[in-house]
Amino acid sequence: MSFFAFLGTLEIGLVYGLVALGVYLTFRVLDFPDLTVDGSFPMGAAVAATAIVAGINPWIATLLAIFAGSLCGLVTAFLAIRCGILHLLASILTMIAAFSINIRIMGRPNLALLGEDTILTPFELLAMDIGIDSGIVRLGIVLLLVIFSGWFITRLLASDFGLGLRATGVNSRMVSAQGGNTALYTYFGLALSNGLVGFSGALFAQTNSFADVTSGVGTIVVGLAAVILGQTLIPGRKIWVAVVAVILGSVLYRLAVAFALSSGMFGMQASDLNLITALLVAAALIAPKMKTTIQRKKKQAIAAKKLA
Amino acid sequence: MIELNDIRVTFNEGTILENQALRGVSLAVPEKQFVTVIGSNGAGKSTLLGAVSGETPMVGGQVLIDDIDVTHKSVHERAQYAARVFQDPLAGTCASLTIEENMALAYKRGSRRSWKMALSSQRRKLFQERISILGLGLEDRLSDNIGLLSGGQRQAVSLVMASLADSKLLLLDEHTAALDPRMAAFVLALTKKVVEEFDLTVMMVTHSMKDALAHGDRTVMLHQGEIVLDVQGQERKQMDVKQLLEMFSKVRGEELADDSLLLS
Repeated sequence: MSFFAFLGTLEIGLVYGLVALGVYLTFRVLDFPDLTVDGSFPMGAAVAATAIVAGINPWIATLLAIFAGSLCGLVTAFLAIRCGILHLLASILTMIAAFSINIRIMGRPNLALLGEDTILTPFELLAMDIGIDSGIVRLGIVLLLVIFSGWFITRLLASDFGLGLRATGVNSRMVSAQGGNTALYTYFGLALSNGLVGFSGALFAQTNSFADVTSGVGTIVVGLAAVILGQTLIPGRKIWVAVVAVILGSVLYRLAVAFALSSGMFGMQASDLNLITALLVAAALIAPKMKTTIQRKKKQAIAAKKLA
Repeated sequence: MIELNDIRVTFNEGTILENQALRGVSLAVPEKQFVTVIGSNGAGKSTLLGAVSGETPMVGGQVLIDDIDVTHKSVHERAQYAARVFQDPLAGTCASLTIEENMALAYKRGSRRSWKMALSSQRRKLFQERISILGLGLEDRLSDNIGLLSGGQRQAVSLVMASLADSKLLLLDEHTAALDPRMAAFVLALTKKVVEEFDLTVMMVTHSMKDALAHGDRTVMLHQGEIVLDVQGQERKQMDVKQLLEMFSKVRGEELADDSLLLS
């Protein structure tokens, strides 16, 4: 793999690290299976791209994208809490609706951002002036943004409010008995999670210079792969460990996939990506269980020998 | 402190399974009184507590806590007025969170949860102090998962949790029912200690007539959704289980046929 490709893989790994954070918040923390991300990711991209093309400041465009993502999360929460629709189903409904809405936002199925100013543009220009490779600077900026997001989530979950949110995903009846508004926490959690994913979509659009309505398909799979891979490799109870784990999981996932594709092993093609992902996630889920089983069998064998 | 006016609770109204759990129950509990509520299975004891806490939907009646009408307030809105300990140790705590995290949750009952850190060194010290009164050595294990503790230990911690935030009311829903006799006695003794120290008004639902008479100042007996006995003061002090049963027979004209209630 070339250095350029390596940088690109790291960059996309970090961008999707925000998706991993969002998925961690809903699947792991809130215990709310949320498929909305397949809709909020391209919505973030669509809103950011449309706004930038319309001449709006790219930072404001990114903020609008975060807002749009949050809105998707709120819709899902509304359907699940107020309307009593099963959470998984509610998120699917939002995800499906978002597809059409994204086309409406962009006015077309995809939008190119070539030549437009993005949030990265000033840094890229600065890099060119100084003489550093602009790819490294871009990676650095994305890394900073991801680190800031990770810090924000860690700090939030360590607060009283965040503790209430975490507890809602563990035992909502107890939270109510302790005066916590579980509905509020769920709304907030879903909005935050999808806001992060919208942010990721906006970054994706600006780093790849396009927004496409189909770019959301499979986002949840990528997010889950990152979370599962990350938490299997870096287990830990603390929040910051989990946050770092899922972001790293996203990067490692991309690296593993890029490596598998570039090495041409077994004649793999880009279309085999889904199969590779499935195998990787399955391995990450099965490996810890196999480890415990092997350890247990060893102990049983030793104990049996002692008795004999 | 608590005023229950004509509480009516019906489950599955209008269907074959319709069950009138509470048929117009009225009860006034003054401040600092310790009421024990007994009754056979299905009598409506937990339902009554549920009516106070807000978990049971009522079809009629009014609930006042501290002269405030809470009839239309949700569970979490009412939580500021009353601390609760559940029957199931698993239901009252978050198993995958640590002891101190559970305590931090209970500490903020009744106040707004905001951006402040949940576990500051100041709070940890307070939690350590409060939990050391249990004498179970848990003050060194505050960062262990609460799920690692036994049922009795969890109930003991739940009691400490209930006293962390200011409230004048304590609702206990058969909180020793899931414990072995030794642990149950420990938790009941602890209950007495906590109630005395924080001057609380208490409603304790219990399945044991013996415990109901041995603790508190007043005993109320529910039967088929109505209050059939209400004893306090001198009369109650001199009562034992046998006399309570005789009183029941006199009032209802029938024998009480619930073995577990009589024998526990």
